[in-house]
Amino acid sequence: MPDWLILCLAAMVLWGIVGLLQKVTTNRISADAVLIWDRIGYVVILPLLVIHTHLHNLGPKDIIIGTLDGITNSLGALFLYMSLASGAKASIAVPLTALYPLLTVLLAVALLGEKVSPLHWAGIILAVVAAILMSLETPVPATVELPKAA
Amino acid sequence: MGKMSVTTSKETVVGQPKLFPRWLVYAIIALLWWGIFGFLGKVGSDRISPSQMQIFFTLGMIPVALVCAIRLRFRIATEKLGVGYSLLMGIIAALGSLAFFAAMKSGNASLIAPATSLYPALTVILAVIFLKEKLNKVQFIRLILALVAIVILSM
Repeated sequence: MPDWLILCLAAMVLWGIVGLLQKVTTNRISADAVLIWDRIGYVVILPLLVIHTHLHNLGPKDIIIGTLDGITNSLGALFLYMSLASGAKASIAVPLTALYPLLTVLLAVALLGEKVSPLHWAGIILAVVAAILMSLETPVPATVELPKAA
Repeated sequence: MGKMSVTTSKETVVGQPKLFPRWLVYAIIALLWWGIFGFLGKVGSDRISPSQMQIFFTLGMIPVALVCAIRLRFRIATEKLGVGYSLLMGIIAALGSLAFFAAMKSGNASLIAPATSLYPALTVILAVIFLKEKLNKVQFIRLILALVAIVILSM
């Protein structure tokens, strides 16, 4: 098994647990509130990371790219919640957003020159189809509460 | 922002269907942000270590969480279990993204982005094990599909 695959599986298991917790949390508090507390969870382990990480060798470009990655990730979540709050059917909006890996692939091919074999294209399409099908009954949107405006 | 979205939800219900309703625009924007997130994850991981990536990734999340807090006018739910599980969720998600950045450092984004997006398959499996949820035939087929996709991507 290649290294990247083992790491991928690790990410999948951890994010799989996150999906499970999402079922529990959004049943109890609003999606916005979950987003806030869950981001605080990220911050909680920050000191641990900082202690064990050298940061002196970084250029401004590295810092900007890393930070932008966090911003884009959270903006994705925020816009999905906003979509659901403005009347989206979860069964349409969520599967639609499951198309995002396709965009990453296209950007990686176009801008980073990654080569994709025909077999891997088949795998990519299959993965996106599977992700869409699985998102059809994702637990988050079904229980999303509208943020109180007043 | 909260006010805006509520008005729109009324329009969607009462008004005529539009070609590009606001929710669709938002959903497409969400898709675009996440696509770029995957791409930047690769670009960043090629340059710096996974833990360095994770630190700045976390910093980038803070402003958006603040926007959410403002949307809620800082009246954020404090229900104990909901908060506790959300915090735990963030910690586990952070560990997941650490593994994601490490994967991105050692492989191609065109394989890793689609593979990691299949994590809901793991949620389904874990829900069967821990929440004693039953798997129906359709869900079983989806799982097999996800598994086949991973096998092909790893070839």
